Amino acid sequence: MGGYAGQILYIDLSTGSIEKKPLDMDYARKHIGGLGFGTQIYLDLIKNHPDFDALSEANPFVLMTGPLTGLKINGVARWTVGTKSPLTGFWGDANVGGYFGARLKFAGYDGIVITGKAEKPSYIFINDDDVEIRDAQKYWGKDIYETTDELSADLKTESKKPGQVVCIGPAGEQLIKFASIINNKRHVAGRTGMGTVWGSKNLKAIYVSGSGSLEVSNPDKLKELKEELKTVYEESIVIDALRSSGTPAHIDVGIISGDIPIKNWQMTDWDDIDEIGPGAIEEKLFAGHKTCYGCSIACKKDAEVKDGPYKMEKGPSPEYETVGTFGPMCLNTNIESIAKANDICNRYGIDTITCGATIAFAIECFENGLITETDTEGIKLTWGNAEAIVKMTEKIAKKEGFGALLAEGSAKAALKIGKNASDFLTTVKGLEAPMHDPRGAHGYGLAYGISPRGACHEASLNFNVEGGAQYIPEIETLSKDYEEFSSDERAQLNVACQDYGMFFSSCAVFCNLGSTPLTATHAISMVNYVTGFDYTLDEIINIGKRVWYLKRGLTNLFGARAKDDRLPKRLMTEMDDGPTEGSVPDMDKMLSEFYELRSFNENGIPTKKVLEDVGLQDLAALLNNV
Amino acid sequence: MGMFKTAEKLEEVLVGFFKLMADTPVIADKLLKSNLIIRFNYADPDLVVVVDASGDKLDVRPHDTDTKAIVEMSMSADIAHRFWFGMVNLTKALTRKEMVAKGPIPKVLKLLPAIKPSYAMYPQYLEANGFGEYNITKAYTPPSA
Repeated sequence: MGGYAGQILYIDLSTGSIEKKPLDMDYARKHIGGLGFGTQIYLDLIKNHPDFDALSEANPFVLMTGPLTGLKINGVARWTVGTKSPLTGFWGDANVGGYFGARLKFAGYDGIVITGKAEKPSYIFINDDDVEIRDAQKYWGKDIYETTDELSADLKTESKKPGQVVCIGPAGEQLIKFASIINNKRHVAGRTGMGTVWGSKNLKAIYVSGSGSLEVSNPDKLKELKEELKTVYEESIVIDALRSSGTPAHIDVGIISGDIPIKNWQMTDWDDIDEIGPGAIEEKLFAGHKTCYGCSIACKKDAEVKDGPYKMEKGPSPEYETVGTFGPMCLNTNIESIAKANDICNRYGIDTITCGATIAFAIECFENGLITETDTEGIKLTWGNAEAIVKMTEKIAKKEGFGALLAEGSAKAALKIGKNASDFLTTVKGLEAPMHDPRGAHGYGLAYGISPRGACHEASLNFNVEGGAQYIPEIETLSKDYEEFSSDERAQLNVACQDYGMFFSSCAVFCNLGSTPLTATHAISMVNYVTGFDYTLDEIINIGKRVWYLKRGLTNLFGARAKDDRLPKRLMTEMDDGPTEGSVPDMDKMLSEFYELRSFNENGIPTKKVLEDVGLQDLAALLNNV
Repeated sequence: MGMFKTAEKLEEVLVGFFKLMADTPVIADKLLKSNLIIRFNYADPDLVVVVDASGDKLDVRPHDTDTKAIVEMSMSADIAHRFWFGMVNLTKALTRKEMVAKGPIPKVLKLLPAIKPSYAMYPQYLEANGFGEYNITKAYTPPSA
């Protein structure tokens, strides 16, 4: 059978046990890969004791590749991680590119299941069959860049092929609630605090080197498909924009549609947008193109600031979301300072969306007198104060002074700050919303509301489809035209985006950027040619549906209810002018329709019957008892 | 049949608007920095317009099929009309080939923030120039009100 490496590693950090379990092909067919494997394995591990803290050793961690990971095809370098989130308290997951997933498969593993907690700082060493838990005290306290460089240098003689490092920084070690896991200094599993869970387990890094290769079941057919896709990619405007400017290309499009939240979601129009747009990035930061394994698109960019207060050596350039949170959200026009804030987040290992959005929240608290310079140790947290934004980013990353409060995320910080601080929140289920405004595309509002991991534009394909970058002609709901600034039919759209999206970007695991031009026929054919399975559209939709219910069910199991599906007041406030003037999503209507389509009860929990119908008997039994 | 019954009317409306943009420094100055020459190919009704930003002034030339354009944009006249109201999801239109673009598209995308003020200008321009029947803005309020 092609595509798969054929084994899953089970590592118990408490006991030091390392077990290699063969991947059963019936299981592979049923779950595809990625979080299809990960969520099911996770549920099986916790179903007998589902009540635990995210930072306890009872919280397992799953890291899974897909059947395509490691092949030289555009947009398939992705791999996934999942666990209970310490930021939200609910199910958390992230999807990441880079080189680690490919190397893990070349070493012979489709994924790693990590349980328990190491007694002392440790890292996992994988060199083909050789798997060890090793002492990481030498690397503890070091930042992401240092850890990556030093581990790579220290271990290069121990493996035939160069290894890949995925690690946490000091932020994960210090249990900052939105710590990330980073491969090769730039490929970030950022959202929901995946790195914090590693920190709680005393797990600093995984080093992997693999000398094997992957088989493809039908190489001739795959070659034909890759040939066909050359033209598809050449004609894709999205790919063209990504190649040129990376994800910040969206700034120019987003500003005309009102998609970019400005001044902590209080504005959608900003005369200074060019100061931080792709043109400014090209002129002031650009230092080269970078890519993920096997992908020719190279949407990643390098940045360098050669002098001035925000000097930074050549490294990852800020992505769209990062520019959004540290730029327009804070009314910050200084693109070099945004690059510096991004550099700090990458070195310490924290999520730039939550960090930037939390600083924007704090600025609003400061401007409204809820906090003062006494609280912030002399930092004037005012709109557009680039120096203050960078200083506060560093304080958060170091968990220092007022930064320690913000290191809990904005929702918990609002509780401590009190007064009307919660009015300035932009969180759903404790996760700060990304830089796409549902007042312009109402389906985003529903997507943020019902996403199992909190406000997220990547939790399904809704952003790609409703936003217009992707359409799936084989599925009517994903190819029809929807009335703009309307909440009509968004429940149906979200269901379809979840079901197909779970197959596409959670299980297969396609990249939501580099694979946007693919139709369902392309995507399913690719999986079939690689694996040798004969999936149909109906089958992959049913698998996607089951994975979505499993994610949602885990979030319900961890306590989420209907009240947690609501958008914060700030995102539901009409704008007086600009492209989205007078428009807010009708959440009552969309949630009501969505609950009916998904067979949720009034508490926002899927009924026992629907869970059993999709094959989640264990989850049905668990949720029946809550 | 689209909104515009004749190519002459389309030309009168759209070319007039392009010329207004060319005379509006806040827009024209930024477009001129691009040095782009864009040919718009409209259908239903058919019309070709070149917007030339390669010189000192923004030059708008209807029926110019000779100039070698850097970018070619093809779309229906209705899509073009809706675009200037800010009512077209540009990403969707390009992805679904409701607009077909050829040339260095990332350079064109970078012009979008520059032309954003034109969205507010277009309904006002239509009303002020006797093209009120083409104003599809639901809540349009004349500037004098």
